Amino acid sequence: MTADQRKHLAVLAAIWAALLFAPYWMPFFGGYTALGSRVLVLGLGAMSVNFLLGFTGVLSFGHAAWFGLGAYACGLTLKHIALSTPLGLLAGTLVGGVAGALLGALLVRRRGIYFAMVTIAFGQVFYYIAFQWLSLTGGDDGLRGFARQPLDFGLFQIDLLHNDIYFYYFVLFCFAVAVGLMAFILGSPFGRTMIAIRENERRARFLGIPVELHIWIAFALSCFFMAFAGSLYALVNNFADPRMLHYSLSGDFVIMAVMGGMRTFWGPLLGAIVFVVLQDYISSVTVNWMSFIGLLIVLIVLFFPRGFLGMLRPRRTA
Amino acid sequence: MSALEVEHLTKRFGSLVAVHDISLTVEPGELRAVIGPNGAGKTTLFNLVSGFFAPSAGSILFDGADITGVPAHRRVGLGMARTFQITEIFPELTVFENIRIVAEVAAGYRLRPWLNRSEKAELRGRIDETLALAALSGKADRVVGELAHGDQRVAEIAMALALKPNLLLLDEPTAGMGDQETYEITQLIRRLHKAGKLTIILIEHDMRVVFHLADRITVLDQGRLLAEGTPQEIAANAAVQTAYLGQAA
Amino acid sequence: MLELIFFNITNGLIVGAFYALMAIGLSLILNLSGVINFAHGGFLVIGGYLAYVLTPYIGFWGALIVSPFLTAIIGVAVEWLLIRRLYGRDPLYSLLLTFGLAFIIEDGTRQIWGANGLPVSVPPALMSALSSRFFFITGYRMFMVATVAIVVVLLFVLLRHTRVGVRIRAGTLDLETVAALGINVRALRSFNFAVGIFLAGLAGVLAGGQLGLEPTMGDGLLMPSFIAIIVGGVGSLTGTLVGGLLIGVAAGLTAVVFPSASDAVMYVIMAIVLLVRPRGLFGEEGMLT
Repeated sequence: MTADQRKHLAVLAAIWAALLFAPYWMPFFGGYTALGSRVLVLGLGAMSVNFLLGFTGVLSFGHAAWFGLGAYACGLTLKHIALSTPLGLLAGTLVGGVAGALLGALLVRRRGIYFAMVTIAFGQVFYYIAFQWLSLTGGDDGLRGFARQPLDFGLFQIDLLHNDIYFYYFVLFCFAVAVGLMAFILGSPFGRTMIAIRENERRARFLGIPVELHIWIAFALSCFFMAFAGSLYALVNNFADPRMLHYSLSGDFVIMAVMGGMRTFWGPLLGAIVFVVLQDYISSVTVNWMSFIGLLIVLIVLFFPRGFLGMLRPRRTA
Repeated sequence: MSALEVEHLTKRFGSLVAVHDISLTVEPGELRAVIGPNGAGKTTLFNLVSGFFAPSAGSILFDGADITGVPAHRRVGLGMARTFQITEIFPELTVFENIRIVAEVAAGYRLRPWLNRSEKAELRGRIDETLALAALSGKADRVVGELAHGDQRVAEIAMALALKPNLLLLDEPTAGMGDQETYEITQLIRRLHKAGKLTIILIEHDMRVVFHLADRITVLDQGRLLAEGTPQEIAANAAVQTAYLGQAA
Repeated sequence: MLELIFFNITNGLIVGAFYALMAIGLSLILNLSGVINFAHGGFLVIGGYLAYVLTPYIGFWGALIVSPFLTAIIGVAVEWLLIRRLYGRDPLYSLLLTFGLAFIIEDGTRQIWGANGLPVSVPPALMSALSSRFFFITGYRMFMVATVAIVVVLLFVLLRHTRVGVRIRAGTLDLETVAALGINVRALRSFNFAVGIFLAGLAGVLAGGQLGLEPTMGDGLLMPSFIAIIVGGVGSLTGTLVGGLLIGVAAGLTAVVFPSASDAVMYVIMAIVLLVRPRGLFGEEGMLT
């Protein structure tokens, strides 16, 4: 084992240990378990955006659509179809992911700034639907009347609704599965073609990589991850509302990824932690929290474009 | 059977004729240099052969098969690899990673979620072999974008080699290099040429390199074929003297 | 029924003219600088509120002219201080920067002028209906459409027949060549940015007169402007103009049959255009892909 690999393992162990014991150390810093669950889910969202942005070089500024679709589908399943948390998650992931994959097929020939614009506009379609379709979604008031259900293992049940710590560990488990899958894909030959496309699309094309197909697959995968995160978010809040589909949230995810370091795997999680905690704090002390968040974004763009982890690890990726 | 046969190839861009009715034949294992002043149509010829542009007229035969209508990325699969005038690499990855991507795609693994043990071992062997051939083994873990310009060009050639081509097209491999780097690239090309059945076509401005390496030389001028022959014949050719060598001197 | 259709088409044209005014400003900046200006709605709000402040002193007509100029000056200041640093970098960064700016502008206006709606007082002469039969065509609505028409014509004249306009168009197609010709690209971009923001400011004044002012008013106009650009084809100002009018009229017509779907129709149009003509109605191969 080389020194690099040892260091890598040590960092991984530290990250997972911190996440595993979060309910016990967070209170010392003013955190609370429910906030921990929220950060994990939004972090997963940021990592899903970054799966596409940081590792394929494709900027989607409408990913909140898949997040929100997942949330609504999960909530509606729990409310109308089945009182089962896993089924809700499955339904949310499938609905959001499939919708994203289908739309992605339409968009994948666009590039760069045009791609960003088209994804914003199409993302708003779903915001608009959630806003208008009162009978199904509850419109501006949001979708209520569902709650996460206990996990039923036959012999025993785990109460996710009333016990925040149990729920945190459930979220952590889901997070670990999704993130593990992401890391696995990025380490596969397919994942390396994503990075090749990011690095030099022309060269990748000439190697014989059908660039559009690969971008589409990466886009679709990222939509599934995003929808999974959105479904979890519905469970975190027992609630879904149109703002979960709005491009502002897409922008938040992108800024989390950039802030943490979009060329790094864990950066977006760090970005999400800082962003969510800061937002939580600022909005509790001032009504002008929007200005502060806006200022934060401007400062990051101007002074920390490579993000926190990007600065620690100069010019090295994958 | 010839490695490459180009017949009456023409490429027009609007009213500009970049390549005008060029025919040439390259034999297997040959090292052919293509020279000519700027704007002679050398790179356009490369782009036609490698499938970047479709020709306006004429045909291209590769190993005896007509590939005129075959798209660029499929020509790669048929055993044709090229480098570019401007270095085309994956700059933020290491030399090893650059070559690994090429090797994986060339082996048809691009959509694979994982590789089994023997596939991994075979791939590893191919990468190591390529690194050794290009004398890059010592720099395998360096980020390509941070290498010296000459080493980047070598890395790019190594990427092309990882495709295991039969025909290698090199577009000005020594462009922008100092004497030492030019010497090293020349040695590399000579090694590749000596090592096996690889057919190489080389666009080059540096006449020392051309006359040192080439089996035969093709001279283009203003999109037309001006002359073709051994280095000795070309050096003695009066038309070439006036059109090109005279200028350069 | 006929009157209803006429009403909605007129309404759609007015709305469409509005979208076009916003979208052309956005498009100018996008084409030359490669910046998706998320703060464009914010500049519209600034234009509107400046008019609110200025009207008591210089009247509506004065504000109509002065306020867009002031907005453009603020815009250029922002371009100089912030956006200029990001040219040549990944477009992601300018997009995020203007995204953050939009937050600051919205919150800032709310802080200064409050969250509640404010009116821009319009001369009474403009507010009367033109005829009792077509009661809905107030003088102000006609005036809005006329203003947009005049400004758009002036802009197209500027772009086609003045030196700076020709440079902007050339820069849109091939900025490197323009720079190689020794033209000051920085100044060109600043000027172009100012023109775009001027249009946003003007849209703000006009909107304020019709709908009143709110800190969030720019947000609702931003998305239709994006869609106008996509439908018309990125890179083509004519396309943007047509796209804006098209989605406005389509929304107006849909309102006759199915009022609640009138906003949805622009998304439908966008989807159809992208399926049938991926580059947009007036987009050309190779433009800003």
